[in-house]
Amino acid sequence: MADNGLGSSSQDSTLIKQNNLECKNLYDYLKTRQPNILEKLYNHPTICLAVYRELPELARHYVIRILFVEQPVPQAVVASWGSQAFSKEHIFVSKVLSELSVWQEAAIPGGLLGWILSPTFKRNLKVALLGGGKAWSMSSALEADSKARDVTFLDAYSLERWECVLHYMVGSQQQEGISADAVRILLHAGLMKRDEEDGSPVITRQGFQFLLLDRQAQVWHFLLQYLDTVEERGLDLVECLTFLFQLSFSTLGKDYSTEGMSPGLLVFLQHLREFGLVYQRKRKAGRFYPTRLALNITSSQNKNASDIEEDAPKGYIVVETNYRVYAYTDSNLQVALIGLFTELMYRFPNLVVGVITRDSVRQALRGGITADQIIGYLKQHAHTQMLQVETKQPLPPTVVDQIKLWELERNRLTYNEGVLYSQFLSQADFNVLKEYAQSNGSLIWCNKEKRTLVINKSAHDDVKKFWKRYSKGN
Amino acid sequence: MNDQAMKQFLLHLDETLKLGRKFIIQDLDENHLFISADILDILQAKIDDLMDQISFPLAEKGP
Repeated sequence: MADNGLGSSSQDSTLIKQNNLECKNLYDYLKTRQPNILEKLYNHPTICLAVYRELPELARHYVIRILFVEQPVPQAVVASWGSQAFSKEHIFVSKVLSELSVWQEAAIPGGLLGWILSPTFKRNLKVALLGGGKAWSMSSALEADSKARDVTFLDAYSLERWECVLHYMVGSQQQEGISADAVRILLHAGLMKRDEEDGSPVITRQGFQFLLLDRQAQVWHFLLQYLDTVEERGLDLVECLTFLFQLSFSTLGKDYSTEGMSPGLLVFLQHLREFGLVYQRKRKAGRFYPTRLALNITSSQNKNASDIEEDAPKGYIVVETNYRVYAYTDSNLQVALIGLFTELMYRFPNLVVGVITRDSVRQALRGGITADQIIGYLKQHAHTQMLQVETKQPLPPTVVDQIKLWELERNRLTYNEGVLYSQFLSQADFNVLKEYAQSNGSLIWCNKEKRTLVINKSAHDDVKKFWKRYSKGN
Repeated sequence: MNDQAMKQFLLHLDETLKLGRKFIIQDLDENHLFISADILDILQAKIDDLMDQISFPLAEKGP
């Protein structure tokens, strides 16, 4: 057997991923936490309910079915609840439930393995669903606020605060700056980095991708990054998470008392206040209002459309079939965002005109923005006039297709770094190595007739070792 | 996704020494080539050039 040094294969193989913005949902986030942190989190009914709501449908069925069963249920019985045709889904949700420590394996007398819900989760989910226990929303026994704030005010406030962060990212000087703490989070999240020359923060490719996300996804991503750093700040992660979940179940337009909150939580509250997730008139006001940004932050799918739409600013972008883009806006942030993927031509007090060209789109793609993100952004902010056309499509299909084609054109050649193995002495040797590589997912390409394999370069050492062991054995 | 045209383009670059040297180590099948890794940057620039040549500006920039 000879290996032939480095190589790359063209076509068909998976793309080498550049470090793109990774958006975790609640599940991705929690499964990477330590079991003991999960255990602590499950002490709070709010979190159990949030986790339960985000489970896949099948998993929710399982949980409800065994919620009141006090002994382990044999795994075979759980598997028999669904038809054989859906065994894949069954395996998947079993994995999810285990990873989140919602249930755990338990031996049943007679040697069978069974599932049982984790006791803490079970107890607190019951509380969440049936009531009982301590009051789990934040205390709201307050006298009426003499300067009560209504929903419209809160919306305007949260929008302004959040846009402040976004404005800072694109470097527009339109509004006041943000606190050093917030800058640190942006740097930590990799959304901005220090400029090599003068050390001032500049936006990164992940940052650009971040800007094109919808509001809710932005808030969630930002908070996750924030939570990564809470421990360095001497705050308690569990405490902060719990508070966040409570907040997400609170009522818009209602005020809550800060009484009984620990000093750590009060610091956390001030941070949330800076980003516009809660409103406080004064730092020591003793009460706060959650804003729309804080509500339902945990739900990743089937977001409550009405919640978001009311908050969303009116669409302002018109795209024509001749690739012209008209953006009715005077916000530097929005102009900067449009400028990411269009060539700007004119600017008027309330209108910006640009044109989408191959070069401008390619530049955005090089910056790490995907075609779907561009199209998604244009769709999300399409002008109401665009929505009234009979076709029901807010964007001209030609433009959408062309943007996608421009992206595909860059990916006509795909490559993987690999090592070529050839000149096997027997078909058996070839098969052994092929199966080994297949089993650990490092096989890129193989051909039985030519007895040739291409194996991922990172797995080369491993495969080499395996081959030595195998040849010795024979 | 099959893109034999792209493979033929690479074969052409290899045969005519357009990149200064041969870079294909082995021809695997109709969609795969095993090439040396150090040529990748030049190769991608070359492909970009090709794409630039065969694209036509769609948008009018006039008023």
